[in-house]
Amino acid sequence: MSRWCRRLTAAATCFTELRVEHRIVEFAGLLRRKGIRVSTAETIDAVEAANLSGLQRRETFKNSLRAAMIKRSGDVAAYDELFELFFSGVGELVKAAGESAASGMTPAEFQELLDDIARLLEGMDPELSDLTRALLMQDSGALEQLLRELRDSGKLPQRPGNYVPPALMRELLGAMGAGDLQEDFDRLLAAAEHGMSEEELEKLKEYLARRSRDLNELLKGMLKLDREQADHKENREQERDRLLEKSFYYLSPSEIKRMREAVSALARKLKNILAIRYKRAKRGRLDVKTTLRHSLEFGGVPFRLSYDRRRRERPQVVILCDVSDSVRNVSRFMLQFVHSLQDIYSKVRSYVFVAEIAEVTQLFKENEIQGAIQRAINGDVVNVYAHSDFGRAFKDFHRDQLEVIDGKTTVIILGDARNNYNAPNDWVLRDIRERARQVIWLNPENASTWGFGDSEMNLYSKHCDIVEECRNLKQLYKIVDILVAA
Amino acid sequence: MSSSARSYASVDAVQNLLAEQKYICDHNIATVVYLATQLGKPVLVEGPAGVGKTELAKVVASSLNIPLIRMQCYEGIDEAKALYEWEYAKQLLYTQILKDKISEVTQGAATLSEAIDRITAQDDVFFSRRFILPRPLLQAIQSDDGVVLLIDEIDKADAEFEAFLLEILSDFQVTVPEIGTIEAKRIPIVVLTSNNAREMSDALKRRCLHLYIDFPSPDLELEILILKVPEAGPALMEDVISLVQNLRKLDLKKQPSISETLDWTRALVIMNADSLDHEIVKETLSSIAKYEGDLRKAEKELEAFVQQRRAKADEPVVPAADGGGDLLH
Ligand SMILES: Nc1ncnc2c1ncn2[C@@H]1O[C@H](COP(=O)(O)OP(=O)(O)OP(=O)(O)O)[C@@H](O)[C@H]1O
Ligand SMILES: [Mg+2]
Repeated sequence: MSRWCRRLTAAATCFTELRVEHRIVEFAGLLRRKGIRVSTAETIDAVEAANLSGLQRRETFKNSLRAAMIKRSGDVAAYDELFELFFSGVGELVKAAGESAASGMTPAEFQELLDDIARLLEGMDPELSDLTRALLMQDSGALEQLLRELRDSGKLPQRPGNYVPPALMRELLGAMGAGDLQEDFDRLLAAAEHGMSEEELEKLKEYLARRSRDLNELLKGMLKLDREQADHKENREQERDRLLEKSFYYLSPSEIKRMREAVSALARKLKNILAIRYKRAKRGRLDVKTTLRHSLEFGGVPFRLSYDRRRRERPQVVILCDVSDSVRNVSRFMLQFVHSLQDIYSKVRSYVFVAEIAEVTQLFKENEIQGAIQRAINGDVVNVYAHSDFGRAFKDFHRDQLEVIDGKTTVIILGDARNNYNAPNDWVLRDIRERARQVIWLNPENASTWGFGDSEMNLYSKHCDIVEECRNLKQLYKIVDILVAA
Repeated sequence: MSSSARSYASVDAVQNLLAEQKYICDHNIATVVYLATQLGKPVLVEGPAGVGKTELAKVVASSLNIPLIRMQCYEGIDEAKALYEWEYAKQLLYTQILKDKISEVTQGAATLSEAIDRITAQDDVFFSRRFILPRPLLQAIQSDDGVVLLIDEIDKADAEFEAFLLEILSDFQVTVPEIGTIEAKRIPIVVLTSNNAREMSDALKRRCLHLYIDFPSPDLELEILILKVPEAGPALMEDVISLVQNLRKLDLKKQPSISETLDWTRALVIMNADSLDHEIVKETLSSIAKYEGDLRKAEKELEAFVQQRRAKADEPVVPAADGGGDLLH
């Protein structure tokens, strides 16, 4: 290989690397827009990883980027989807369009044709457009670049259907810095007429027609791809917003599933916040008193040093969930939420009630979380078809369980306070509050209806530190903020 | 500082070398291991219990023929247990033995504080490398050749410890105030594992490559079984795997993992079961289902499995071409 040639190859590799780098940076931007956090450092890692493991094998490329940029197993599905969308996009289109370019020719014949065209192009004055040259010379790299620039320029119109009218086609070509494609072709043919045989000329004409069709297909494909990506984005965002505001009362099974995921994401977020908060503890300080006490065993020599290691106190939670028909969904998510946080709270004890009250803590120890929730609310532990009787549930709790509450306990009560005109027994709440660190009441009913009819909310809220409406995910987010502050 | 001298030539090489250590891995695992060794970055391995996270670190070490240093995390682990401790007892012993020497030093001191000053001037004798007890992190940093540093079950450690670890992992050097800075000669290959008892901080994750190991596909699991429990018959292996894979689709509190598959198969082999259609099989179920609720579900699944199997066996063999006509009469 001549020196010149080697340098050219080096430049070409460098060019591909640059392009890949550019693409990965772009891709990281896309991931971020979809809510996956990717830092700059991680993007650089991804580029290094891609260069190391090579681009030949698509699977390896995909795995490498994922290892460097996706750090949460929950994001993997979204990553896979976006990767396909992004990396199979334009490049694949160009590749597909190039496949038929040589049809009907042997590789040698095709090479010959390309050589002829290269010669013709060189003689053109003024030069033909970049697009025409890339298209005719089968330069998929350059072609891809042009198409990508077109897409990024935002000049692709949003339009339904597959038909691309000629006027739009001209417009798009213009946007890619190409004038009339036909004009370019005509000039090329005119030049070719000198020195090319009839047969060769015919082949060239066929080739031009084919490439023109290919370009047409390419642009159609681009429009479609762009549309898909836009739809995808819109769907996800809409869905998220809708879910936020959606009342817990009316959820389809698939919404319940998504809500579950949202709730566990929320729990994760909360855990992260709390983890950051715990400051890095230095090695405990020397505990002089204990050290001296121990030293007595060794004739006054402080043979064993004691360090004072204050363990942080983790809060405890007791949750009382109304599981009557009207609020069951909310209870479901609240139980899930509280139990996902097990490791932050030193103790979580849960009770469910309608009129009877029963503890379900053990259920959560023995079963996987969704199974436990299902059993807690399906009537196995308390009769869920009874008429709600908060007063009775409270009184029984007071009689049997009051001692589980102490100064470290946050008590969360979830219910609509619709007591069917039974005795409210609000004195129980007063007693609970006296013992507890704080009492929080979450009511899944619209606040404007509290206190009307058989709602005892006004009475009960007097004995609570915090009272909040809790009807949808958005409000649950707010409650999380309160819990974090607590 | 350079990364480990011994390294893998390619992604495929990783796969082959690990297989030699009896570890079967898919392309993804191999890719991440390759990248981690080449880029000198730690890998955070997450996934359910028993899918081979810890084992991965071990076989990376043995396949590269370098030592493994393991640091098991637990609640309350701190710098002293992870990095180094002063050998207090040894220091004390030396002061006792060297009593005379010490009084020599303090001899003629006019005041108590002067005596203390003189002793302090000798500090570095007692606070030198001689009296340091290196724990896993320091051992890994001090080692001359490359090592694999396994930081196991990091999710069990407290968030404070994670923050401390972060510093070590970013520059692989440790400052001991009394001695100075100790810098790694070679960056160890670091593998952190987590069961996700606690979400790791974003800061830690940013510094690591990420690998999620899920339960294996049936094919992969069969390969592992063939490799690890070759004494089991092929029929038994297939039964075990299809049942275990079914169980993973249920909502269990603890899903059976590769290690449970291996344990269970070994138990079955010991009990001479050659398929799952045996009374004794039920008694061995506790090796794949550890919770009461899970056990009940597993029993049900086993019954269904066996019944289906019998139904299939009882099905009349499809009659050959000439017999087929009978049905029409
Ligand atoms: N891919 C594999 N090939 C061969 N053996 C494996 C594989 N994966 C797991 N094993 C075997 O399964 C057992 C459990 O693996 P290991 O202890 O590494 O799991 P783990 O993911 O670290 O679990 P835990 O989270 O409980 O610590 C080991 O005996 C190991 O040999
Ligand atoms: Mg392990």
